[in-house]
Amino acid sequence: MKTWSIVRREYLERVRTRGFLISTVLVPLFMGLIIVVPMLLSQSGGEEQRSIGLIDPGRQVTESLRRALDEIERENFALVTINVERRSLADGVAEMRDMIRDEAIDSGVVIDPDFVNTRRAAFYSKSVSSMMLMDDLRPALNRVLSEQRFQRAGVSDSLRVYLAGRAQWERITVTAEGEETEQDEPSAFIVAVTMIMILYMMILFYGQHTLTGVIEEKNSRVVEILLSSVPTSNLMLGKVLGIGMAGLTQFAIWTATLTWLSGTGFSVGGFSLDGSLLTPVILVSFVVNFVLGFFLFAMLYAGVGALCNTVQDSQQFATPIAMCAIIPVLLLSLVIRAPDSTVAVVLSLIPLFTPILMFMRVSVQTPPLWQILLSWVLMIATILAAARVAGKLYRLGILTHGSAPSWRTVMKILRQPD
Amino acid sequence: MSEIPVRPDPDGPILRLQDVSKSYGAVRAVRDISLAIPPGAIYGFLGPNGAGKTTTIRSIMGIILPDSGTISFRGQPLGRNTLDRIGYLPEERGLYRKMKCAEHLGFLGELKGLPRREALSRAREWLERLDLAEWGDRKVDALSKGMQQKVQFAATFLFEPELVILDEPFSGLDPLNIELLRDVIVEQRARGCTVIFSTHMLAEAEKLCDSICLIDGGLKILDGSLDEVRRSFPLKSVRVAFAADVEPPADLPGVIGRTRAEGEWRLEIDQDTDTRALLTALAAAGPVSLFSANRPTLDEIFLAAVRRRRGAGAAPGEARA
Repeated sequence: MKTWSIVRREYLERVRTRGFLISTVLVPLFMGLIIVVPMLLSQSGGEEQRSIGLIDPGRQVTESLRRALDEIERENFALVTINVERRSLADGVAEMRDMIRDEAIDSGVVIDPDFVNTRRAAFYSKSVSSMMLMDDLRPALNRVLSEQRFQRAGVSDSLRVYLAGRAQWERITVTAEGEETEQDEPSAFIVAVTMIMILYMMILFYGQHTLTGVIEEKNSRVVEILLSSVPTSNLMLGKVLGIGMAGLTQFAIWTATLTWLSGTGFSVGGFSLDGSLLTPVILVSFVVNFVLGFFLFAMLYAGVGALCNTVQDSQQFATPIAMCAIIPVLLLSLVIRAPDSTVAVVLSLIPLFTPILMFMRVSVQTPPLWQILLSWVLMIATILAAARVAGKLYRLGILTHGSAPSWRTVMKILRQPD
Repeated sequence: MSEIPVRPDPDGPILRLQDVSKSYGAVRAVRDISLAIPPGAIYGFLGPNGAGKTTTIRSIMGIILPDSGTISFRGQPLGRNTLDRIGYLPEERGLYRKMKCAEHLGFLGELKGLPRREALSRAREWLERLDLAEWGDRKVDALSKGMQQKVQFAATFLFEPELVILDEPFSGLDPLNIELLRDVIVEQRARGCTVIFSTHMLAEAEKLCDSICLIDGGLKILDGSLDEVRRSFPLKSVRVAFAADVEPPADLPGVIGRTRAEGEWRLEIDQDTDTRALLTALAAAGPVSLFSANRPTLDEIFLAAVRRRRGAGAAPGEARA
């Protein structure tokens, strides 16, 4: 049970630090900021007026466009008409350009003199960032165009309203228990993405804890005293387990706090915390994927940590490991788009990617059980292989001191007989 | 403190190394070393820096695997169960800086198989024994280097081991603390604990050790009880003083050189000199007030032995610990 003494020491050493407390508080705050601030901003967007210059020869669309833009609630638009009745169109456009350059207006629209027939309009803006603005303008102008064409074709108002009807969508998610309407699709999605970010951060954060922990042990020379009592394998295992448990404790604190807060009906800027979104499936999946991912990365980190005397020395090895953790995050959008596609299935079964991608798949759409189990089996096999390699690096590296090791020394150590 | 139970063969060596060798690449750190360490003794494991001491000790502790040879503890091969009976103070030692001293000692005790509660209460006892009682709840960080070394020293004995290996235990300590630790070592020997004391500080070893082993370049040069070793080295000189102002006669039997210092004469003598005949010859010259045949010090033995071996053809720098 010496391993448990090591586990307890590692666990307490981490949980008792101020750093643990700070990260326990800061990570949710940070996550909250990332999610809530854009929401608050998009809500308060109406306060700021977006001024759009409009050149509309013959005032074909001005009134109806103004009406269409007024209907968009999130934004507050102001149409600034630039008169071209007593001068050429080119002069008007030149004036508008100057206004955009002087930031008198945010952007400008030029309507073709024969708009209803040619359908031509031009959008002028200073930066690409006004693409968002164009996303609002485009449907508004489309509506104006169809209205005018209906009018020209002599379609009655009642028929026009009828023809302009839009499909009313309802979203239904099919779950194992049967059909279930999901009213709040965006928040479920936000929860999934947030959880993935937390999972990713925790795996890397606690993995790197293992790296610095091993280096500290080596640097302070306490390791030889430890090795005179326990074999290297127990020392390494105890360390990884203790640090992993500290990570799980942190997650448990977050989950408990979130559940409690959602019980009190706490809300920020209209975004209420809904504890029920953290379904048991998601929670269990999070814990399993954290444990698997953490173990894999922590083993690798422990192995290279044992070779290095300083954190700087370790960067040449630690950076590629961190890259392996980032790749699945970059692949996320691919998987979200089609969680059941062959690409997504294959990627989520690759052990280095499994923790992030399989968790994503479970969060958005439960994959077949065999895929989940297979991913676990592959993960565990990889962890065992990593433990063997890392154990060897650890055993042979932990007592060496001196210059920073190179990849060649690593290969040399790995080729040595056990 | 409890007595160490008597084993089937109480007189046999507590630790035996048989032809132990270890190389690092082309460097042969330890070459065919065989040792038999008698139980209940303080055993000096001596040699210059880089002689192979640390490599040998790490092999005993199972931290590294020797390339060949066997090591047995009380007649059993080394294994996990033997580790809990052997204490080790490495030369390269340190502690977790953020841990409280008493907790840290307790943790190290647990790693040697003590139950947690027991380990913690013994930690307090040992801190008291080493004048560190009031530091128990302070973090290791707050302690001076010397104090940290005493904590490490305590960890070595905390679990009442049958054998303890101390690698340069006194390095960097002041004389007061050296005395304190030396007392503890002697006390532990009285309890029945065998102590292997590895050092290159021979004066310290001379004061403490019952038996010694001298290694150099990975090879064992000599071993045995301190008396045996001393006797096996011939006398090199005698100190002589006269009560009157007399000089030693010029043609003394077996004397090959002489120096005078502070009213005493130091006579270099031949290996085969008969000291009784020498004393008679000196007494004939005048009233002898001092005639002292000094056994060589460990320093002298060490230098002579190492020179003899290196002179005998071993290339220098052949081994590094």
